Amino acid sequence: MSQAITIPKRTMWALLALVALMQTVALAYVVYSRDQLLKHGREIVMQVTPVDPRDIFRGDYVILGFPMSRIEITGEKFGALSEGLESGGEIYVTMTPGNDNEWSVAKVSATYPKENGPKENGTRDAVLKGRVESVDRNAAPDKTWVSARYGVESYFVPEGTGKVLEQQVSDKKIQAILAVGPDGTAATKGLIVGGERHVAPPLF
Amino acid sequence: MYRRHVERDLERWAGAGWVTPSGAAKIREDLANSRGIGLAGVLSILASVLLAFGVFSFVAAHWDEMPRLLRLALLFALLWAGYAAAGVLFARHMRTFGDAAVLFSVAVFGASIALISQMFHIDGNPPDGVYAWWIGALVAGVLLRSNPALALAMVLVCVWTAMEMGQRQRVYWPFLIGWAAVTAAYLWQRWRPGAHLSGLALSLFVISLGYVLNKGHEHQLVVGLGLATAFTAVVAERSGKDWTGFAPVVLGYAIVTALAGLLALQFYESPSRDTLMLLAAATLALLLAVIWYGQKTGNRGLLWLGYIGFSIETLAIYFNLVGTMLSTSAFFLIVGLIVAVLALMALRLHRRGLNAEMTS
Repeated sequence: MSQAITIPKRTMWALLALVALMQTVALAYVVYSRDQLLKHGREIVMQVTPVDPRDIFRGDYVILGFPMSRIEITGEKFGALSEGLESGGEIYVTMTPGNDNEWSVAKVSATYPKENGPKENGTRDAVLKGRVESVDRNAAPDKTWVSARYGVESYFVPEGTGKVLEQQVSDKKIQAILAVGPDGTAATKGLIVGGERHVAPPLF
Repeated sequence: MYRRHVERDLERWAGAGWVTPSGAAKIREDLANSRGIGLAGVLSILASVLLAFGVFSFVAAHWDEMPRLLRLALLFALLWAGYAAAGVLFARHMRTFGDAAVLFSVAVFGASIALISQMFHIDGNPPDGVYAWWIGALVAGVLLRSNPALALAMVLVCVWTAMEMGQRQRVYWPFLIGWAAVTAAYLWQRWRPGAHLSGLALSLFVISLGYVLNKGHEHQLVVGLGLATAFTAVVAERSGKDWTGFAPVVLGYAIVTALAGLLALQFYESPSRDTLMLLAAATLALLLAVIWYGQKTGNRGLLWLGYIGFSIETLAIYFNLVGTMLSTSAFFLIVGLIVAVLALMALRLHRRGLNAEMTS
């Protein structure tokens, strides 16, 4: 194959330990930051609609559709805010809570917006960071459609329970519990299905 | 193949007295030592691939009888165990077995990424996970000088690019950064199969440009890039400036790229009859040049590429027709006559060469 490479034994052991350590630390960092986000992020509950496929790497999961997954931008409503949006780029949506955990999109921008303080009725907007999938500016005059993902659309379930969950979900309302960090990054904490809260306990 | 071939020639050369018996013995010894990785090595790599798939399926099964933290700890333990096994095998000079163990650990690293994203329902951007994985594979491959890990890194760079391009429906240029990083590692390792992986990956990327850029009609760029690279490789090889020794490999993949672009121009686009005829003639001329150069430099891969390309081009013209059946027939007759004349000229050159040798 390649040229014979002779690395001294002790160096080889050190290199092996280094590689293993680097990979472990990288993985542990992701686990830690996610755990922190779940513990300290602002918790919001949002109405969602489910679809069910399968992932070749990670098993069964349910795809959740959010109110900000597909956004209609009209000239008057959002102004020229859709200007900087392009597929593959970042998107920040400001969500306003309504009755019964029905959140709606209040504002869209390509950079982190100035946050609104608490409203008169005591509710507070939430800013979510996502990635634009597509921008359709020619759908209709004065109208732009934006599809985006926020990293919370997949909910992984134990093998074989995907269908069961889907069935439970088809007639009842389903809600997602999200944790939102200060930079708009969102993580899924769990689901509320038929009023029952399904949240995995913290890792440690 | 090669060993049998040399063995046959060796007998002939020794019989003619060109090679001394001790020289022949030395050559045989060298051949025996340079015999690839052997069956055991191949099997160990395959075993590691199978085990890795086992780990991935375990993650995908999402077995909730086992607490999440324990599942994660199990994967971490497997990762460390793989590297420890590699250390033991390297110390015993079982290089390929050690490489197989490294490959396994790199795969477990990928499975851990999948497990973590499953645990936390991270959907985000699936290519990001593959991105982290190829970085991990590259780091392991370079630090441990392990070629199978580097091979996996290139495969992952391609998967990552394909996922990103599938999502965005446009060219994903960061591919070039990943490709260059892994290719640099191959050059550093002077690993020949790696040069083939690099060539294949870059060819696929360049060919895809033709179908993505300019609304999917940019095949002339593909042809241009292929020909320019082929030209550079030939110049490097002829002038003896090929310090990597990979020029023949580069040339082969450059020709594949140019040919793919030419085929797309002729049969994917719908050119006018005159343009099609011109392109077909140019393609056949290029392939004849490839065959000639392969013959001249003793590059068998190039020779085969020329033959196969020639067959594909000829069949494609036959089935797609240059204008009408009659003009297709005329096209073939003319090209056939030209090639026949070339054959005669080649024969005459060959004879003249022999005569010159005899008279001198």
